[in-house]
Amino acid sequence: MANKLSNHHGGWIIIGTFVLAALFTVLPLPDWLEAYRPEWVALVVIYWVMALPDRIGLLAAWIAGFFIDVLEGSLLGLNALALALVAYLALSLYQRMRMFTAVQQSSTILILVGIHQLLSFWVLTANSQNTAPNLIFMISALSSAIIWPFIFVALRYIRRSFQVT
Amino acid sequence: MLGLALLSMVMMLADSRFDYLSSVRFYASYLITPLHWLSDTPRAISDSVNNNMQSRSYLIGESQNLKDQLLQQQYQLQKLGHLEAENRRLNELLNASTIVEERTVNAELTGESPDPFTKRVLINKGSNQDVFVGQPVLDAFGLMGQVVDVEPFASWVLLITDPQHSTPVQINRNGNRAIATGTQDSLQRLELNNISDTFDVMIGDVLVTSGFGGRFPAGYPVGVVSNVVHDPGAPFATVIVEPTAQLDRSRNVLLVFK
Repeated sequence: MANKLSNHHGGWIIIGTFVLAALFTVLPLPDWLEAYRPEWVALVVIYWVMALPDRIGLLAAWIAGFFIDVLEGSLLGLNALALALVAYLALSLYQRMRMFTAVQQSSTILILVGIHQLLSFWVLTANSQNTAPNLIFMISALSSAIIWPFIFVALRYIRRSFQVT
Repeated sequence: MLGLALLSMVMMLADSRFDYLSSVRFYASYLITPLHWLSDTPRAISDSVNNNMQSRSYLIGESQNLKDQLLQQQYQLQKLGHLEAENRRLNELLNASTIVEERTVNAELTGESPDPFTKRVLINKGSNQDVFVGQPVLDAFGLMGQVVDVEPFASWVLLITDPQHSTPVQINRNGNRAIATGTQDSLQRLELNNISDTFDVMIGDVLVTSGFGGRFPAGYPVGVVSNVVHDPGAPFATVIVEPTAQLDRSRNVLLVFK
């Protein structure tokens, strides 16, 4: 994704994790589960920003978001903006987040994904695509926070076993 | 960050208000199409397993049922052909515009929008099969929605029960016209807009497309009135319509070409 310097390895692995996250984003779910779907791509963005902040940053997040927009058929630029914002916040927090315990990390994820959701919600409302006057859209921030420790361990395992730097 | 934010906002504006970015989306979706296929594979596998594991007696029974159904419908078609010809003759006598013959093409539902606030589905035909934006989509029971976004090998269909979608309808019984709009809460619920208390509508009335607005051909079933509430305090009556199309179950849909 980012510029491929000689000391970087495993760019395809990073892209692969994004593709997998995108796949989980559109995998059909029963209607009642739909609102609980974690923001997979946001989680993957946050992980790679934490792990390789010199490599995955705003631009990578923005491009990933752009393709999510095409994939979901949503407003072009909506997810791009939200994910770039998440990456921006994660970039300013990553040194602290690396020191956090699992619970602290999860609560940070709750805030970050919550901001992601809120921003998407605002844009959709401004575009009058959204008339839901409730907080259901925040549930996925909660499920993202709950699933984060597992994602973190899984992605760390991938990063270490493929020596992505 | 500011630059990217600005870029995204300009893109969103261009996408929602103008039509500049449809080609960008179109070409980017070439890269995305494999993901659509991949996300559909669990369903495809379970379908093919189901198909291959049916017992002989079940298949014989099903085939018998389908034959019976076919016979019934052919019988009804005989009458329909006569009626259609008669209708056309009468229309010609009245010098009214002739009814256009419509051609339909089968498509299959392959996905659903992950956004819980919109009711959009993905079908497996795209611009390579001449699908166009605004094309009506039906299932075996009635109107499902219209195509809103076309990709090379897939297209997005906005269902008639989406809160952003309105369908011009008329009541089959008396020809009264109205507009049916989707609702936020349920997939199987439409409401008629601005219906005065004196409007002649009853529970059980069948609504069909009126053909107004030029988007949907006239005469396709849309829904059945399931409830009419006259609240003296409200300016309009609340008319609840249940769509006849099986929006939550139909896998096989029809695209209408003129």
